[in-house]
Amino acid sequence: MPEFEILSGYRMVSSIDDIETVASTTTGLALRFAPDDLFVIGDTRPIASDPYAIVEQEAGFVGMSFTLDAFAAHVVGHIDWAIPVERPALAQGLVAGVPAKIWLTEDGALLITNGAYADELGARIHE
Amino acid sequence: MTLSVDGQHIDFQTGDSAAIAVLRHGQHPGSGGALCLAGDCGNCVAEVDGTAFVRTCQVAATDTMTIRRHPAVGGPPIAALGSNVTRDTFEPIGVAHEVADLVVVGAGDSGTAAAVAASDGGRLVTVLDAVDGNEVVGIYGGPTVVVRTVSGLRHIRASDVVVATGAAELHPVCEGSMLRGIYTPNAARKLRDAGVDLGNLVLLGGTEADLPGRHVEGQLVSFVGDGSVMAVITEDTAGNQDAHPCDSVVVGVGFSPRDLLSRMTNDEHVTVVGPAAQRFNLPDCPSAGVVCPCSKTTIEDLDAVWDRGFTELELVKRASLAGTGTCQGGVCGPYLRAFVSARSGSTPDPFTARPASRQITLREAGASAYAEPFRRTALHAENLAAGGQLDRFGNWWRPWNYGDHLGEYHAVRNAVSLGDVSTLGKMIVDGPDSIELLERLYPTTVADIRPGRSRYVLLLNERGHIIDDGMICRESETRFVLSFTSGGAANAESFVRDWAETWALDVRVLDRTMSLAAINVTGPRSGELLERVGVVNPPKFLQHRHDVVANIPCHIMRLSFTGEASFELHHAVDRSAELWRELMAAGADMGIKPHGLQTLFGLRLEKGHIIIGMDTELDTTPRRVDMDWAVKMSKPDFIGRQALERTAKLADQRRLHAFTMEGEAPTEGTPIIVDGQIHGHVTSSFTSPTLGHAVMLGWLKKGALLDGEPITHVLIGGRAAVVAQAPFFDREGTRARV
Repeated sequence: MPEFEILSGYRMVSSIDDIETVASTTTGLALRFAPDDLFVIGDTRPIASDPYAIVEQEAGFVGMSFTLDAFAAHVVGHIDWAIPVERPALAQGLVAGVPAKIWLTEDGALLITNGAYADELGARIHE
Repeated sequence: MTLSVDGQHIDFQTGDSAAIAVLRHGQHPGSGGALCLAGDCGNCVAEVDGTAFVRTCQVAATDTMTIRRHPAVGGPPIAALGSNVTRDTFEPIGVAHEVADLVVVGAGDSGTAAAVAASDGGRLVTVLDAVDGNEVVGIYGGPTVVVRTVSGLRHIRASDVVVATGAAELHPVCEGSMLRGIYTPNAARKLRDAGVDLGNLVLLGGTEADLPGRHVEGQLVSFVGDGSVMAVITEDTAGNQDAHPCDSVVVGVGFSPRDLLSRMTNDEHVTVVGPAAQRFNLPDCPSAGVVCPCSKTTIEDLDAVWDRGFTELELVKRASLAGTGTCQGGVCGPYLRAFVSARSGSTPDPFTARPASRQITLREAGASAYAEPFRRTALHAENLAAGGQLDRFGNWWRPWNYGDHLGEYHAVRNAVSLGDVSTLGKMIVDGPDSIELLERLYPTTVADIRPGRSRYVLLLNERGHIIDDGMICRESETRFVLSFTSGGAANAESFVRDWAETWALDVRVLDRTMSLAAINVTGPRSGELLERVGVVNPPKFLQHRHDVVANIPCHIMRLSFTGEASFELHHAVDRSAELWRELMAAGADMGIKPHGLQTLFGLRLEKGHIIIGMDTELDTTPRRVDMDWAVKMSKPDFIGRQALERTAKLADQRRLHAFTMEGEAPTEGTPIIVDGQIHGHVTSSFTSPTLGHAVMLGWLKKGALLDGEPITHVLIGGRAAVVAQAPFFDREGTRARV
């Protein structure tokens, strides 16, 4: 069973055009939490063209990586909503009653939550 | 084979349901009323093996079964927790989350036909029926079908759902219809097939030709009996009444669609077929009797609510409780519609249905429900290591104290102390319209805050009531950092975002509450401690800046909630434990201690600072807590301004006052007594180590007079207290500005 690890990167809130540009060009994993809100995992600080963009270092999220089998065995039973079928996809909702996000790829899944919830979510899916 | 009914052991036959087993012995499984034995009505419900409200017609009799009838009036007693409680009692029920193409609910003729047709058309069909152990109790939009099985619940997300649940037999409603010995035709057939002796059986109305018994003609008028039916009264077309002595009566009144599940959602992917989709004629509106056996609602009750003005079906239901019981209107629904039709002249559609369609246990209701998660700060481990006694506050685990409340208090007042304030709401706002947004949101002026300066602010709703407070820190011409209370942060974030969107303002908003930790360094030696860890010239009161503290980037905010010089250090959560340890080490020779909420609450009370939600109520305006100074009515507009302008002309009903008292502080919530009458209550209380007496905040009716004079003395907890002025300590505020 994997454990949560801090996902270090940058958080960027900006114009939608700016977000789309950064999301499509960054070398890091870009997770679009909202149309104007991007989380880029990695060391490279995004360059915003929007002069009012908010770009901040982010260490508030943690992630737990699963193979597809492990995800089905340990996590799916704690999800009471429709998991997207397309890949890749970012899904957001409650997992075991805890606010979380899931990055789904063809090979596996990354379960993401705020660090403040890490122990609680970890305990619930380990049960 | 025997089972127990109210302590009496009775034998039963293979294939008997619990209800038939009881009826075989001439008894009624409930307290009375017609029986359908099809799971539609609630007249056979009883406690079965410890579970209340079980339809005994739907469970097979077993050799170890224990049945207790529910009382005729009121609900079944709640079993006391005793030695029978085991781990299994609280073991969660499993929920299987499944995906299906087409779900057909009901395996009768129409369900089977629908399933075959769909399957022939290439659909993957799942058929669910209670007979097969899959009892559907709810259909939500989506659609999602909730199924009850012996091994747990199934939540099935389906592309399409077909409800094919057939039709239910109507029960007779007239005087005496709650007697024992009355059956629908299909119930009588089941009893006949089971070999149950119904004695002298009278058959009336509808489809009873195949049943053994004496057929009688005429309209049903009433049933007569003493507990059990002894005769049925009919009336012919000429108005002549006949009494027909009997032991049992079978009455065919008609049918109604069993469409409860289909009425739970408007989802276009849920369709109804067969008799469940059929429009049957409504029965005649009864002139007497119990219309809703589950809620014991009579026709007189319906008349009473109608006469009080509840003249729509949904209102009749809510006011009379008819249709809210075990069968959720399965029995009484057609009669209620007939009643409304007869009274109003128009026939209403059936009322809205909601899951669950029948009683489920608390364990089933709680299945897949999780407790509210409580957050841990980045300093959780540090707090525990320091002896922190943690409790839940504002959805966070926070230290109440570290085992030495008084020591923590004196560390703040006399030396230096650290507080974990990571839970505070934190938000960055930037954009060309950021000032416009904040000027509209906050009742104070924002444009005149200079970069590098900060201001205390209230947050009001449209009614002018205080919903939160915090700080505004200006970082540049357009960029601001906002802080909110720990408990109010989530609502405040929604508040800011919603209004920004409503006003279509060009701003960027980023919530940083869980991305940044915060440590409050407070006490007369707090500045000295910061200098030891590399901060040159710490910010002055209400200044803020970004700097490096112990090699860790921080946003330093100088403010004060404790009444002492205080610096909030906002920093990345992954560096928080490191910063905490560095500060504790650097202040070791100063007598540094961490302080918990118990100390913080006392310190702020000595300064007269309120806590939103603790000292305020839902309708608290700034005036009521003497915080008019935080509101600039000279601004053209802000949220709540119109309400404040209007209510300023009204007499105030109550105000928050400060009180002092000798000795120990009474508990919060203690009534405040004036001349023998309760005039308010204490919201915050603290026995001040510095002042040597109790200090309190509490609500007092505005304008309350005693012998014509303003109140200056009150009784709190049976002791004399004095109306005082806050702050209680350091009135000039010099300590915070040191």
